Amino acid sequence: MTDVTLYHWEPNANSGKPMLALMEKGVAFDSHYLDLLNFDQHKPDYLAINPLGTIPAMTHGDLVLTESTAIMEYVDEAFPGPRLMPDDPVDQWRVRWWMKFMDQWLGPSFSMIGWSVFVGPSVRQKDPAELEAAIARIPMPERRVSWRKAISGSFSAEEMAESQRRVALGITYLEQALGEREWLASDRYSLADINGFNLAYALPLSQPHLSNDQLTPNIMRWVRAIYARPATRRCWALGKTDLAKRASLLEAELA
Amino acid sequence: MSAILYHGEPNGPSLTVLAALFEKNVDAALERIDLRAGERHSDKVPHALEVDQSIEGEGPVLVVDGTAMTDSVFLACYLDEVGSGPALRPAAPYARWQMMAWCRYVIERLAPAASYVGLQASPPATVPEGIVSLDLADRWREATAGRFDQAKVKDSRAKIVQAADKIEAQLADGRQWLMGDFGIADLETYAWLAGMPPLVPEAFRGRALTREWLGRVKARPSVVRALGLASVSTPERVWAPGPEINRWG
Repeated sequence: MTDVTLYHWEPNANSGKPMLALMEKGVAFDSHYLDLLNFDQHKPDYLAINPLGTIPAMTHGDLVLTESTAIMEYVDEAFPGPRLMPDDPVDQWRVRWWMKFMDQWLGPSFSMIGWSVFVGPSVRQKDPAELEAAIARIPMPERRVSWRKAISGSFSAEEMAESQRRVALGITYLEQALGEREWLASDRYSLADINGFNLAYALPLSQPHLSNDQLTPNIMRWVRAIYARPATRRCWALGKTDLAKRASLLEAELA
Repeated sequence: MSAILYHGEPNGPSLTVLAALFEKNVDAALERIDLRAGERHSDKVPHALEVDQSIEGEGPVLVVDGTAMTDSVFLACYLDEVGSGPALRPAAPYARWQMMAWCRYVIERLAPAASYVGLQASPPATVPEGIVSLDLADRWREATAGRFDQAKVKDSRAKIVQAADKIEAQLADGRQWLMGDFGIADLETYAWLAGMPPLVPEAFRGRALTREWLGRVKARPSVVRALGLASVSTPERVWAPGPEINRWG
């Protein structure tokens, strides 16, 4: 029995962050899979939990939590298990700095590319009237704009180029930071690594010309080390689409 | 521990960190830099990835034993951890989640909006040399050229109104401070909103609780002390490019 329920999509990006944090802490939870491509997150059942319709959300008893990075900090503080924040206050600052950098600068660029090549094409063949109704149910105006762009494939060339620029630059920053210490923000595995893995695990497959053993050996060492952790294996096994399967490339290369 | 805080006029993120420093009695040398003249990009301030790529834009830099740190909410968390004054964050995990989620809303939605509206009212004159981040340099170029996108202005003003709404709702149960006890959420929210009443008056009309709360934060001794460091009479009108408006969702 558990009093924790996590509403999530794939072990990927925002959904994967609290999933992996819970797994690392050894917290049992009911996994409630929402099919993003079927707009489950905008249906009344879920809007009753999170009126904004963003994924993920977590309930702990009567408490409802949203915002994946803030949920991770809660998971670390509220449950026993290995600490996922370093003890040193400067290291704690660095964990949060990297999480913000990924959440608000690097992540959205990955996401725009991902929506353009995966989410958009995956839902585009649905009935247009059904799609329009689905968009109309999205509570946040910003998200309605995002979905329309993804579905119609109308990201401008400038927007995509800017996202690609940021991804390429972000890769060099990650490589630089991981050349300075074993883990992203401190000498200990932390929430910053969990956050970063959710963005970076597919890099060798999605950006092979930018991230590989020759160009970014530290990133490769880091994503392999995280994928080798039992919690990560259990977490990525919950994936149902080809997105999560991209991590298996890390396993093949371990051999 | 040797600490130096490089700060701008007490407005926006510089105000948050100065007041947090005073709340927590942390000993640090205070070095004023002119953010509007781009001094954060000069040799006056140590440079590190976390300084050059801070997505807060032109915020303060706290250097502790050689490590240069940025981003006001996280600097305030650091000060809360090492300082001696009363806690600036709730101790219970759920209350702390509420505070961190609130601050995330402020830095992601309110801060870019306030910065855009503030910059439009008083754009800086020239783009400084030495800006490493291309997207921050772009925000400087747009501001100095007076190019403010009307749709973004409209949306930013709406976000100021939305923030005031959120504050009014939060204070509706009679509490004095946003999270119950005074803390980082009050400082960060106030720091971005302090200059908004004359620029977006509709946000504050009919929202008495919010106006009273602004007055309480302004009267807080740490905030009074921070405002006392201003080199101009109206620091709340001094803006340099801040965080970017979300490009995606």
